[in-house]
Amino acid sequence: MINRKKKIAAKIARFILLAIFLIAAILPLFWIFVTSIKDGTEIYTFPLKYWPDKPSLNSYRELFSFSDFGTYFRNSLVISLSAAFGAMVISILSGFALSRFTNKRAKGAIELGMYFTQTIPTFIIMVPIFTIFSSLGWINSRIALGFVYVATVVAFCTIMGKSFFDRIPASLEEAAKIDGCNLFQALVKVILPVTLPGMAAIFCFAFINIWNELFIAVTVLSSSSKMTVPVALNSFISKTGISWGVMSAGIIVALLPTMIVFGIGQKYIVAGLTDGGVKG
Amino acid sequence: MRNKWYLLMMVPAFLFILAFLYIPLVRGVVMAFQNYNMFDLTNLHFIGLDNFKAIITDPYTDFWQIMWNTLIWLVFSLIFQFLLGFTLALLLKKPFMGRGIYSGLVFYAWALSGFAIGLIWSWLFNGQFGLFNDFLVRLGLIDTPIGFLSTPGLAMVSVIITNIWYGVPFFGIMLLAALQSVPNELYEASVLDGCGAVKQLFYVTIPYIKPTIISTILLRTMWIVNYPDIIYAMTNGGPVNSTNILATQMINEVFKQYDYGQGSAFGVIIMLILFIYSVIYLKLTRSSEADI
Repeated sequence: MINRKKKIAAKIARFILLAIFLIAAILPLFWIFVTSIKDGTEIYTFPLKYWPDKPSLNSYRELFSFSDFGTYFRNSLVISLSAAFGAMVISILSGFALSRFTNKRAKGAIELGMYFTQTIPTFIIMVPIFTIFSSLGWINSRIALGFVYVATVVAFCTIMGKSFFDRIPASLEEAAKIDGCNLFQALVKVILPVTLPGMAAIFCFAFINIWNELFIAVTVLSSSSKMTVPVALNSFISKTGISWGVMSAGIIVALLPTMIVFGIGQKYIVAGLTDGGVKG
Repeated sequence: MRNKWYLLMMVPAFLFILAFLYIPLVRGVVMAFQNYNMFDLTNLHFIGLDNFKAIITDPYTDFWQIMWNTLIWLVFSLIFQFLLGFTLALLLKKPFMGRGIYSGLVFYAWALSGFAIGLIWSWLFNGQFGLFNDFLVRLGLIDTPIGFLSTPGLAMVSVIITNIWYGVPFFGIMLLAALQSVPNELYEASVLDGCGAVKQLFYVTIPYIKPTIISTILLRTMWIVNYPDIIYAMTNGGPVNSTNILATQMINEVFKQYDYGQGSAFGVIIMLILFIYSVIYLKLTRSSEADI
């Protein structure tokens, strides 16, 4: 009897805790969404209204007309998609090679060098990137920015990739070799199809990190037509305070791609992060 | 001989990392010892440790206060991120209906940028029209809204709460995966030995996932110290330096003062601290062989 009561109490406690975590996780996003569909006066009334009397899309309209958010969104999308794709291809090669490399010492050193990139503060490389790019005439180039982004994610992606390839036995490519494939053909035709979820995880991870990046973009891009989404949000701050209607609409639009990518790739990202980044 | 091919396949990755991370890093470290100011580049030369001296004796921003702020920011953020993330992972360990969707919703913040999160929370903490002020007034706890982000003591608490919210999904994801790798036989055996739930946690679960705990805490520490995004979006170090940490002071040197030399010197200080910390941390925890 007592045991059963205890079990029920534990169940209820668990349910309540789970509910608290859920509310805490959702509330901030929900509130930004509510703010984005209020009209100007309703945002700035106190006590607050938890749902607008007449939901309106005015903030979104303003976002895309006055601030040209569509252009920034396109910039971000093009840069993030292509840099993430580039990083994925490069880290498929390096991750596979690192996984099959037989010289233990060199392998350890390479892995350590990859990990060390995680400890570099963005800001110590920001100014040198600016000066180097200025002398090369690369300032304001979205392609150059994409290159930096590939570099910032490729180390972690390589480590993720390696852990995926580690699980594929080398006998698979040996068999392909007997069938007349060279190493590269074996990788593309035999190994990759088996590790597709892993590649998806790498792509999602790279995309999210690149999409979110602000400070390097601020450093490299100077003209407003080339700005990315985070840079645009940042520019909303500096101009005479923050207009929260437009800002919250901007945040919601900025979140959509990562939300979609995270939704699709969640399972793979989680597997990839836990295997690649931090082994248990 | 195959290794040659493998090395060749790693060349693109090496080139990118070398060109856009390691070469700029070396240049950044060199800058920390030069009088690199964008207003006056005509007489660029090495000045030894002058940048570091200038930082420590800066009359406007007390270096030791910044160090203290960094410590407070790190310790409180990390402890609560870990404890709450671990709790969440334990709650999610046993399957229940809708667990997939549930974890998608609570883990979603992992995919957000610190900058966006800082913006969202600065609206929640807003001193006039913020949601938290609204709750407190309705509950009768305060009469008029308070300026969470404009009052020195409260500002630090606010940015730390935001940072905790940001970090919980990371620990939740990582520790949940580790928890699921604990073999069931261990639990069964511990029940036969008469272990209750609490004993099980401390004698079975935690020892088994210790390597993950050690490495996630190390990684998160580096990120908390390195990334200024949240504070940058919420207070940018203010009011009167009360939320100014090493990383935010570094961007202010670069963005506002254009003093790249001193900015880089801050970067070198951060890297040195993190390096020493990692060495000591890994020494202290080596017995359990953190595998990062």
